[in-house]
Amino acid sequence: MAQEPSPKSGGKVSRRDFIKLMAAAGTVMTFAVFADWGKFLPPPKQQSGERQKVELPDGSQANVKSFPVNHAEAVIFPKSTDPVLNKESFRTWQFIRLPEELGGKKNDVSSFRMYSMVCLHLWCLWKYWPQDGRKRGECPCHGSMYDPLTGKAFAGPASLQAPPSNVLPRLDLEISSDGNVWIKPPNWSPNGNGVVGFGRFLT
Amino acid sequence: MALKFTFPSRFVSPLGFLGMITFVIFIILGVTGALLMLYYEPILDRAWDSVKNINDVIPYGFHLRNIHYHASNAMVMVALLHMYYQYFSGRYKIRNEILWVTGIILGVLTILEAFTGYDIIFSERAELAISIAASLTNSIPIMGPQMAQAFFGGGFHDFVLRFYAFHVFLLPIAMLGLMVVHFPRFLVFDIPMVMAISGAIMLTGGVFPVDMGLKFDPNVPPGITVPEWYLTGLYSFLRSAYDKFTTGVAWPGLFIFALLIVPFIDRYKKFSWKDRPIITAVGITSLAQIIVTTYWGFYIDPDRTKSLLERLVIDPVFLYLVMILLVPLSFGFTYMMIKLARNAEANAKVQPKKPSTKSSINLTEKWIYGIFIALLVFQVYLNIAAYYAVLNGMKNYSLFIIGIMMLVFAGMFHIFRHGKSMQKAPPPKPTLPPMPAKAKSPSLTKTGTPETPQITAGTKELENSVAKENTVAPSAKGSTPSASSGTSASTSSTSASSSVQSTTKTESTGTQSEQKIIADKKE
Repeated sequence: MAQEPSPKSGGKVSRRDFIKLMAAAGTVMTFAVFADWGKFLPPPKQQSGERQKVELPDGSQANVKSFPVNHAEAVIFPKSTDPVLNKESFRTWQFIRLPEELGGKKNDVSSFRMYSMVCLHLWCLWKYWPQDGRKRGECPCHGSMYDPLTGKAFAGPASLQAPPSNVLPRLDLEISSDGNVWIKPPNWSPNGNGVVGFGRFLT
Repeated sequence: MALKFTFPSRFVSPLGFLGMITFVIFIILGVTGALLMLYYEPILDRAWDSVKNINDVIPYGFHLRNIHYHASNAMVMVALLHMYYQYFSGRYKIRNEILWVTGIILGVLTILEAFTGYDIIFSERAELAISIAASLTNSIPIMGPQMAQAFFGGGFHDFVLRFYAFHVFLLPIAMLGLMVVHFPRFLVFDIPMVMAISGAIMLTGGVFPVDMGLKFDPNVPPGITVPEWYLTGLYSFLRSAYDKFTTGVAWPGLFIFALLIVPFIDRYKKFSWKDRPIITAVGITSLAQIIVTTYWGFYIDPDRTKSLLERLVIDPVFLYLVMILLVPLSFGFTYMMIKLARNAEANAKVQPKKPSTKSSINLTEKWIYGIFIALLVFQVYLNIAAYYAVLNGMKNYSLFIIGIMMLVFAGMFHIFRHGKSMQKAPPPKPTLPPMPAKAKSPSLTKTGTPETPQITAGTKELENSVAKENTVAPSAKGSTPSASSGTSASTSSTSASSSVQSTTKTESTGTQSEQKIIADKKE
């Protein structure tokens, strides 16, 4: 016990270093379990595998027969039972019926588009302007402009961003026999429906 | 890192740790509380749901909520024990009155903090507690209604929001301010103790996970509800159906006031409880009354055929008679205890002193390493177990395991400290005058290692010891209040201690003397 520590030679670990090493290992082993506790910080995401109806601000469901051409409404998706969560900008989508020249007259799913309203530049909320000469999405913050046909930014700072951050996330729609419009369960990835606030690869 | 962890040689009893433990639990509460704030919503109809979300959905929300809840109970309990220990050992004397007075206020704030905490869940019980608190404030003569309005606002919506403001900001800030004054002369900070307390809190949370209660619904009248244990004493008085101001405000107010003025009434010139019979008897009386009323507040006649009135109301004559009866009983008990203690002292003086029965466990280095490695393996196993418990959704089991891990860490730290004390020369004795390191090296050569190059070995030894002092210094040396914040040992003390260390090393050539020093240090 009371021996002198052996001289450090030949790469041997001295006893003092050894017990220190073990103490460090013990500390790491004790606190390693808390690394997983970091999961407390990001809120858990809930994903539903069911289709959801396109619910317009007045509470009715969008219908092919009644929704006007060259017109847009803000729709919440995914809709939560908690009214507070329905105020999230990341849940806000622009539901657009295309103007006539882009094929908005057809009574099928091809005349509708649904893009995330979060601008890909700095996350302001853009909206669709149906006036003659505009007919495009415009962001009030820095003027990014979006093509309603594809969701691609064609002017402004968002258009200068590298893919996928120059194309808006888009939801897939389907129309039931009674003409009601539904949102299909999305795939939140850049190669799928895109990531809100980040973008989507144009395929 | 040069953390200095001092073992409290001044404190004969481990109860001397209680103040430090209270503070450590306060820190634990601050950290877990701050994390819970990320998800809690202090809105009347959202509070309970947000707590349920934390409890059921958020990963590790269950753990943090349980730690927060059980730590709050532990803090109230430990603060109470701390107060009684200081009371019976007379530590509020010798110009420590300010520590006592701030301590009492801190204790009251601690209970208010715990009270506001369990109210902002806004379960059925919380609604009752809030209503009772507001109505008691309202019952104060003259200023009562205005005070209730000023503190609690106009209704439940205001109550939740304001209790939240009190709970997370106003009360903790006030407590921190008082702590600056209450700061003790010796900050005793002991890592294994801290870890063991954290572990005990987690264990309790794993075994007795706190429930959610029922969400308050004004349309559904609540069932029989009892407050938290630190308020059942007060609750038993409220249940005696006597005037609510007297029972709910005046009695606790009187109790707190009596505690506040204790150091100014206690005129005994001695510290020990044996030498302060009246004060000790009063303390025992208060303890007895607290224990009896705390239990009484919990007790509700289980006979459901009786009416609620019969089951809930405590006969005031009976209650107060028992309270009065406890006074002579406690005084008699105190008299008996002092007699017994005196007798024991006298006997101890008469009888020849027995050889010291203090036994120390002497582990060889091999055994220390063996135990350490075994504990490390156990930690690995516990890590895996905790991980699988979380994967399988067994939240309270994982909390339980993490509690055990904390306790194992405390044990490991003990063994580490023991192993280091065996490897190392004992810490410097403060009586030895500091000598320059140069002057000591010749003496080292005389009695140092009898083998090979002595001078070089000696100097190398010295270098090693200096380096050791610089890098790891959990040695018991000095007692600075900033026990956990130091970054490096001061250079002057390093040179002094290293020289002293070398002298002690020369003295302890055999294993016997070294063991003796270790035993000395342990005492």
